[in-house]
Amino acid sequence: MSDTKISPHSLNDLKNTTDDCLANYLRSLSFVQDNSKLDIRLAVGYAAVVISAVTFAADYKLGWEATKTGTAVAVVAYAALNAVYTWWMWMVEKGMVFEGVRGGKKVSIASKTKKHDPTYYLTVTTSSSSQPIQLQCPFTTWFTQDGYFVAQPFQQWLASSVAVIGEADSKNAAKSEKDELFVSEAERNGTTSTSGADASHAKGTKRGKKKS
Amino acid sequence: MFSSLASLQPRQLAAQVLNFALVLSTAFMLWKGLSVFTNSSSPIVVVLSGSMEPAFERGDLLFLWNRGLDTQVGEIVVYNVRGKDIPIVHRVIRRFGGGAAPLQLLTKGDNNAADDTELYARGQSYLDRQKDVVGSVVGFVPFVGYVTILLSEYPWLKTAMLGFMALTVVLQRE
Repeated sequence: MSDTKISPHSLNDLKNTTDDCLANYLRSLSFVQDNSKLDIRLAVGYAAVVISAVTFAADYKLGWEATKTGTAVAVVAYAALNAVYTWWMWMVEKGMVFEGVRGGKKVSIASKTKKHDPTYYLTVTTSSSSQPIQLQCPFTTWFTQDGYFVAQPFQQWLASSVAVIGEADSKNAAKSEKDELFVSEAERNGTTSTSGADASHAKGTKRGKKKS
Repeated sequence: MFSSLASLQPRQLAAQVLNFALVLSTAFMLWKGLSVFTNSSSPIVVVLSGSMEPAFERGDLLFLWNRGLDTQVGEIVVYNVRGKDIPIVHRVIRRFGGGAAPLQLLTKGDNNAADDTELYARGQSYLDRQKDVVGSVVGFVPFVGYVTILLSEYPWLKTAMLGFMALTVVLQRE
């Protein structure tokens, strides 16, 4: 169980905390993280900021008349970099929270949430399958009622749904055997998490019915 | 709140700081872009005095245009007095020269008794269109600029606002 407490009613907090825990979990399974996409975004973003800082300094020191032409060039360059930055975030990263390699197998995970829907949606792309896998699970599965993250059910969900992660974490991959253990552990940790799990089960079935 | 910031990965922290830097730099570059577009060093100004009443009142936001330098009598221009950096919004009442000779302007506030010769720098009795004028007024929004009057009259508000902005952007994710 993680020690930071979040508001279980804030979808943003739920998602951010889960994103962080997902990356931590995969790193702990000795996935080697590949940050190149984020690095490129940072490089583009900081380049834009530097351009604007230089423009500001030049304007402050030399005044408008002397810097007119330079400013025009800087404005165009800034707009272009900003467009690239936005495009990169929306079209390339697409909410990616982890990309990494383990034993020659690549995995790339993007997460998202939908407004007023406390469900975690994952798009998992692996090198072993051509089609990306779509996963979804209510946040109540791994958050207690008072906003603590519980690692076990979360890791179990991931390990049993994604083959590459399951191979790395065979303990959590065998879901059915572990289920009972999870409930008893949750009870030991306090009744709140049990009720949270119950609620999630109920929701899960409802969602399933709607779909079919 | 700050503990959540401390627990971030270095890259996440860099991304967070970048978020804030991009907000500031985008605002600045939009302003500069407008400057380039209008060819004016300060394309939006706030009326600080009542000397142009009833046309403009304190706090009105003015949009300036500085392309096409052939300013006519009756146009309202914003100019800086040489040596001082206070923009003044007044109406052109006379023009001299133009064409090959440099265009010179005499201005007056609608609400003032006399023309602006008193306001100009020592020894100056007219404005040089090219050098002194920041732009002609092409549009305005009443009252919106009052915030900046408050900000300049109570400087601590500025600090408070900037600090508050910085804090919310850094502490809020997405």
